[in-house]
Amino acid sequence: MNARRAFKLMIVDDSNIMRRRIERSQQFEDLQVVGTAGNGVEALALFSQADPDVVTMDLTMPQMDGIECIGRLVALKPAVRILVISALADKATAVEAMERGANGFLNKPFTDRQLNEAIADLMRRA
Amino acid sequence: MTFAGTERRRQLVTAGIGTALALLMGTVLIMGFRLATHMRADIVSLQTASSLQAYPEQIAGQLNALRDRLEVRAYAGQSLADLQDTVGRFDHDLKRLQAGNPDLPQLAQPLRLWRQYSPVLEPVISFSGQPYVDSDTGSTLSREGREHYAAVKQAQRFAAENAHALRQQLTVLAASLQRAASNAAASLRALLAAGVLAAVVLAAVAAWFQFTRGRHERAAREAQEQTRDILRTVREGFFLLDADYRIGSVWSEALTRMFNRKDFSGLSFEELLKDLVPPATLATAAKYIKLLWGDRAHENLMKTINPLGQLEITANDGHGGKETRYLQFDFHRVTGAEGVRHVLCAVGDITSSVLLARELQDSQESANSQLDMMLGMLHLDPLQLMSFLDTSETGLKLVNAIMKEPARSDAEFRRKLAGMMRELHSIKGEASILNLRSIASRVHVLEDMLAECRKKPELTGNDFLPMVLKLDELLAHLRGVREMGTRLTSLRETAPSTAGAPAGSAAAQPAAAASGGVTPQRRAEDLAPALKGMAERLAADHAKQFSLSVSGLADVPAPYAATIKDCLIQMLRNAAVHGIETPDVRRAHTKNAAGSVRVDFRRAADGFELLFEDDGAGIKPETLRSAAVLRQLITAEEAAAMDTRTSMALIFRPGFSTRDEVSMDAGRGVGMDVVARSVYAIGGKIGVSTHPGKFTRFRIVLPPIEGAQSTAVA
Repeated sequence: MNARRAFKLMIVDDSNIMRRRIERSQQFEDLQVVGTAGNGVEALALFSQADPDVVTMDLTMPQMDGIECIGRLVALKPAVRILVISALADKATAVEAMERGANGFLNKPFTDRQLNEAIADLMRRA
Repeated sequence: MTFAGTERRRQLVTAGIGTALALLMGTVLIMGFRLATHMRADIVSLQTASSLQAYPEQIAGQLNALRDRLEVRAYAGQSLADLQDTVGRFDHDLKRLQAGNPDLPQLAQPLRLWRQYSPVLEPVISFSGQPYVDSDTGSTLSREGREHYAAVKQAQRFAAENAHALRQQLTVLAASLQRAASNAAASLRALLAAGVLAAVVLAAVAAWFQFTRGRHERAAREAQEQTRDILRTVREGFFLLDADYRIGSVWSEALTRMFNRKDFSGLSFEELLKDLVPPATLATAAKYIKLLWGDRAHENLMKTINPLGQLEITANDGHGGKETRYLQFDFHRVTGAEGVRHVLCAVGDITSSVLLARELQDSQESANSQLDMMLGMLHLDPLQLMSFLDTSETGLKLVNAIMKEPARSDAEFRRKLAGMMRELHSIKGEASILNLRSIASRVHVLEDMLAECRKKPELTGNDFLPMVLKLDELLAHLRGVREMGTRLTSLRETAPSTAGAPAGSAAAQPAAAASGGVTPQRRAEDLAPALKGMAERLAADHAKQFSLSVSGLADVPAPYAATIKDCLIQMLRNAAVHGIETPDVRRAHTKNAAGSVRVDFRRAADGFELLFEDDGAGIKPETLRSAAVLRQLITAEEAAAMDTRTSMALIFRPGFSTRDEVSMDAGRGVGMDVVARSVYAIGGKIGVSTHPGKFTRFRIVLPPIEGAQSTAVA
């Protein structure tokens, strides 16, 4: 925790409410939201400019779904940490996301505490 | 690995000790050999030196003898020869001693003195002439003889003067040699003692190492046995997966029970699951296992997304059948300095937990259904409910009695089975009509057990044992329903408003109802609403549409009420399941989508008549015949010989059904035989007429009852 640098967070979710919820619930002084995207295409467009360290990623989204987006983001920046936040309880999808490069998984619905713990875990590993 | 390292070190130490022991023993043996060789030379020298000590005196004596002989002019040849021999041997032995001990200082003096003997002795021993000449006065010394005599005389005087000194010197020499031999012997003894001591020490060290090695081996063996015991006893399946996702050589015995195989060593994880899970699950599992080896996986995350947390597998039950089991796979990464070395996989059989959870869910649902039933009972007349409970209890007691009947042969057991099924079927029918689903479903379970029994090739008394429990459970449930009914009755009585309830009649019988006894006179009622309720349920359950019209049931005489009710339940069930077609089929046959069922009870000239008619598919005699052949009620030959009338009569045979699939309402092969038997029992007759594709009509004729009052079915 010495020489703390600010981690940059990008939120990708097609639900405006969920984006706000995630943005509001994060409680880290050293975490700064650098961008939000409503689908995979927007996320890719924003990614290079925002250069986030941590991304929260929904899976079911229009235009480009989360699974594909994860693969592309990791190809652009292998060091990026991706937390999948999804209502899909399907383990196969979770495994698929991990295989593409996700680093964490959080099921919807979640509590603020669960979200913060998951993000903190990713920041530790970043 | 630690054990292997220790073992290697121990082997090296043992080899080192062995080598040291061999070197030491070799050195001792070589030194001993050399010492022994020296000792042997010393002993030979000592013997020589000892024998030499006598020579100086002997030479002096022989010279004396030679002089004496020369002086008396006697024969001196032998004395000279003896002297020559002695001097020769002495000289030879002394030189040999010198050759064997060149550096021996004590040898110098005798050698020096002996060299002084040589010039004196040489003229004597080299004499070879005639010492005497004969004359008239006797023998005198010849010239050679006189010279010889002079030499002998000089030598004799020299020997007499030096013999003692020479002997002394030889004695000193012998003593010196003896000391040398003695020293060598002492050295050899010391060497041997040292060798033995070293050998003993080394042997002790070797024994100590052997002992500690044995102890370690014992400990290792015990550890192995303990590991084996753990792996044999533990209920979870344990194994390690290597980087190629293959199972290691050590695994717990529980795996054999879980997977019905033993060839786990070297088996790939995919092969393990291949025949047990769908391909999609297998693919996900393979990806998941791969992720476990990556650096992004960590325990909690991997646990969250574990696709094998509750895996349903279908496996052989070991008796030729299949069984469904639930397995839980847990994965733990075993890491070392170089990263993930293995993945430890723990498999638990959670079938009982899963089933328990389901049972809990079922019991929750059952509680809900009981609540539903209670609410349903609110709409039932208490007396109607009590009547049902009375007859059901009686019926179950009859089932119990049939079960307890002695039987020995398979045929006897099958007869018992058929009797029990008929009774249960009636109870289920009545429960259904009253919408008491919790009872109907319980009876259905019991019927399922009986049906399973019937499939067995050979029946024994033991096959009936599980049913005793279920029967008790059912009776207990009936008691519960009765209690609930009684409470509801008293609730109704104590409620401030009893509007809509048949207050007067209900109030007249609460005690009898509560006591569970059969009340001789139930309140008159109409079966029609109950039948209509059952018709609606049957239509919904079997995706059929039909209307039910009922007339004349209020005129059913009391003695016939129960029989008529049983018959109507069964016939309505048959009509809904077999008779009325589905709306699509009906439309295809240019019939109304909704069918109709008509029930008509009326007085006839010779008693009473019940008509039951549906406008459904009718009954084809050939269908009845083939169904009867299929159920082995008749042979194919008998079927071929049957006319239409006899074929139609098959419907009243015990165990007959045209339905393959068993449902709550038909298909068990009992029903119409119960109807027929109950009709015959009260002296009635039953007949069936049908037209395939148009209708089926049952006509039941019952004899008149003298003095009987008409009453509704109770």
